Amino acid sequence: MIPEGSLLSAHDLRKTYGSTPALDGASFSVHPGEVVAVMGPSGSGKSTLLHCLAGIVNPDSGTITYAGRELSAMSDAERSALRRSDFGFVFQFGQLVPELTCVENVALPLRLNGVKRKAAERTALEWMERLEVDGLGGKRPGEVSGGQGQRVAVARALAGSPKVIFADEPTGALDSLNGERVMELLTEAARSSHVAVVLVTHEARVAAFSDRDVTVRDGRAHNLEYSA
Amino acid sequence: MILLDKPGTTGAPAPPRPAPPSRGAAVLRDLGLGIRFAAGGGREGWIRTLLTAVGVGLGVALLLLASSVPHLLDARSARDQARKESPASTASQSGRTDRSVLRVDAGSDFGDETISGFLMRAEGADPVLPPGIDRFPAPGTMVVSPALKELLASPGSGLLRERLAYRITGTIGDDGLRSPGELRYYAGSDTLTTARGAHRITEYGGAGETDPVPPLLVVLIVMVCVVLLVPVAIFIATAVRFGGDRRDRRLAALRLVGADIRTTRRIAAGEAMFGALLGLLLGLAFFLVGRLFVGSVELWDVSAFPADVVPDLRLGLLIVVAVPLTAVLVTLLAMRSVVIEPLGVVRRGRERGRRLWWRLLVPAAGLSVLVMKGRVGEFDPVDPVPIATGAVLVLVGLALLLPWLVEACVNRLRGGPVPWQLATRRLQLSSGAASRAVSGVTVAVAGAIALQMLFAAMSADFHRATGEDPSRAQFAAYSEDVTGDAATSAIERFRATEGVDTVIGSVEAYATKPGTYAEDDVTPTTSLTIGTCATLRELARIDRCEDGDAFVVHPPGDEEQAEWVDRTARKGKTVLIGEGMGREPFRWTLPADTPTVTARKDPMGEIHHGIMATTGALDASKLPGATIVAQIRVDDRVPDIAEYVRNTAYRIDPGMRFVELNPVARDRMYDSVRTGLQVGATVVLLLIAASMLVSQLEQLRERRRLLSVLVAFGTRRSTLGWSVLWQTAVPVALGLAVAVAGGLGLGATLAWMIHKTVVDWWLFWPMVGAGAGLIAVVTLASLPPLWRLMRPEGLRTE
Repeated sequence: MIPEGSLLSAHDLRKTYGSTPALDGASFSVHPGEVVAVMGPSGSGKSTLLHCLAGIVNPDSGTITYAGRELSAMSDAERSALRRSDFGFVFQFGQLVPELTCVENVALPLRLNGVKRKAAERTALEWMERLEVDGLGGKRPGEVSGGQGQRVAVARALAGSPKVIFADEPTGALDSLNGERVMELLTEAARSSHVAVVLVTHEARVAAFSDRDVTVRDGRAHNLEYSA
Repeated sequence: MILLDKPGTTGAPAPPRPAPPSRGAAVLRDLGLGIRFAAGGGREGWIRTLLTAVGVGLGVALLLLASSVPHLLDARSARDQARKESPASTASQSGRTDRSVLRVDAGSDFGDETISGFLMRAEGADPVLPPGIDRFPAPGTMVVSPALKELLASPGSGLLRERLAYRITGTIGDDGLRSPGELRYYAGSDTLTTARGAHRITEYGGAGETDPVPPLLVVLIVMVCVVLLVPVAIFIATAVRFGGDRRDRRLAALRLVGADIRTTRRIAAGEAMFGALLGLLLGLAFFLVGRLFVGSVELWDVSAFPADVVPDLRLGLLIVVAVPLTAVLVTLLAMRSVVIEPLGVVRRGRERGRRLWWRLLVPAAGLSVLVMKGRVGEFDPVDPVPIATGAVLVLVGLALLLPWLVEACVNRLRGGPVPWQLATRRLQLSSGAASRAVSGVTVAVAGAIALQMLFAAMSADFHRATGEDPSRAQFAAYSEDVTGDAATSAIERFRATEGVDTVIGSVEAYATKPGTYAEDDVTPTTSLTIGTCATLRELARIDRCEDGDAFVVHPPGDEEQAEWVDRTARKGKTVLIGEGMGREPFRWTLPADTPTVTARKDPMGEIHHGIMATTGALDASKLPGATIVAQIRVDDRVPDIAEYVRNTAYRIDPGMRFVELNPVARDRMYDSVRTGLQVGATVVLLLIAASMLVSQLEQLRERRRLLSVLVAFGTRRSTLGWSVLWQTAVPVALGLAVAVAGGLGLGATLAWMIHKTVVDWWLFWPMVGAGAGLIAVVTLASLPPLWRLMRPEGLRTE
């Protein structure tokens, strides 16, 4: 049932919101260092799939396995701990804490994991440099552009040395030039660090940065084959 | 684009552009638009408007209640005066008429309750009636207040029923009562006579003059009003700014479609005005509903008739005008610090920071007003205006000082764990909102501290050492104008009462030196006390005493008074007892071998001097009129012992005065004002807690998505919970620091004004404790919605 060598896999996930089915028997897997794009039209269930895979939302049925551990068998606290230690997140907008500076935002996952402030901010600055936003450390999110903000968010997702990054429409609020640069930086950094990326998008040019595409339609994931 | 070379293809001509509205019409249009936004903003808009309205409404209700106090006091006083004996009645004591009534004050206590009452006997066919009753009570019956009727019917009132064993035939109407909770009765009698202490009355209705309020109490009352009402005003000003951030964003959207800055301000004013007007209506509704229940509420022995709770017309109008006006002004002032641009809202002045100098000026001006007013004399009339103005300026000044202090402090906060960092960064970004929420706490606590200091400084004036000694006797009863055997039998009846250990019972009268005196001469007179040897030993330092002995008693260390005693108490000579009481005086010869002794204080702390005689030396029943005094020591272990003794006293003479001995006399009014302050300050703090909670929830709702994102990458609930705690605690702690400093300063100034010294500088701890409780309440109440908002649903955009 679990594809061999996969880091994170899901089987026959079902999830409904009220009477609306969001996932209807979706299955999925991602290998270490792999970039998988989850595509599909609006309302198809892509984001719900991502939320289930990340342990943010519990599916109504089905199994999710991460590194040999059953996610749905974990408590809320265990899943939170897993998200802090092994997962990173990039969302479309509204993800940076507005009152913290950019470097404090990037350092936040490390600090939540108990890393001391100075050490966390040192690591954060290194990642910001890699993401080409090293000059923005002292600025607040409201003082930087959308593209810069997304790069700060990517730096934050990578700063905690995660095994998987979940990116939900990471370029949805950016122009194409900025969007492509963010994707380049995200995928390069992920690949070089052997981090898997689950990328939810409805844009083909964003999906082009992935190793493999999965299409979600009517709550079902298609084209599961490993295409690399 | 219109193609000019193709005539006719444009179709119908474009409708003419409507003429721009006149300036007045534009103002009305913008205000109307603001009202529409407030009223038609969907569910969320209504919630925001309702929050403002409820906040303003609570404040308005409190202000209306406060503005009703003058009428309430006037009405109470008027009813009180109406049932007093009229001066005309006092002047015409001579003869009985068809309307005259004999009455005796037969008030009593039951537990902690005070019962007022009169025994009355009609002397003619048309007796005068006190207000509130329409029929004179027949002998053996009584009319009672509803509260007394209820008390008499309650299960634990058996001993009171035994005491007031009259048949209830009616109820005293509201116009005969001071307040709904008053315990009062009028009982009919057929045995009262003027000879037995009854007083003839022919008319009700006092002169309407009341004792002026003591100056120190005026200072206290002014301060209590200021301390309770200024935070309410600040609370109203805070409430009208609920939802300000969202409104600013909405106005930015209007700027995008061409609204100019003036228009946006007018729209904002309209929005604020709608909330305030709705608040005004809600406040009126809260007030009217609360008024219905006011009759059933009794605080500090004070209750009020709903009909008495009527706002003063001028103050009421002021509230109606000032509240919406304040709402508009506060909104416009708040908008001065933001620039609403078409693409968003820019907060102005962040780089410059808040200025301190003018904020310091306000409390300094307040203190100057108080100092310039100078000291208040103990007997001089006091003008409340400068005291109120000075105190208001100091308290408002503290509220103005707070935003500067919060900003200055939080900007210096660095590092710390994640919750601390999230909280301090949040405060750095919007310290104004935090200060606004806390300013009410600062003012309430500062005022309460100042008042507590004032109370402590004045407590000696209100708590007087009486000299009474409860270890020798816990109760004292005395009855005037007693004749015959009643004088001696009364003491015996006390001795026979269950639970009574000893009775220091004496019969007292005046002895005068026989002779003829000129009109302007003072007749040599001294007091005469008759009792057993045991009783006399409690009143004078007597070594040897046998029944039949008498003594001349000198006051200790007062030669002049001793000489005056000796002018009447001449050994071997006759004295007249009871002269001038309208009866034949009793002649008695003081034995020639009477020893002279020195008086000592009795359990009531009084010194008896003059002549003392044992019952064998002088038969008390022969006196033409005397006062009996019984100082009673009881066994405290007997349950309801006080009621047994009171019942005996009532049986002996319903008009008998009965007091409980206490080494310290506490002024009940002082205690009531102090309790009132504590309850008021608590209510104000709760009101402010509600306001802080609303602001906190509003802020959390606005950050719903961010909270979901934080949850997504594994943030613990406790991390965000602690951040909410710090976010409340830091400004409240700073606010309390300002309050303590300001309160101590104001309290010391007020104490100086009334010629008192500060007796305790550490009185602020309870209020600081209340502030800490407020932090806990707001944080704990914020947690459930915070947990709800920390659900992943916030991440969903579809």
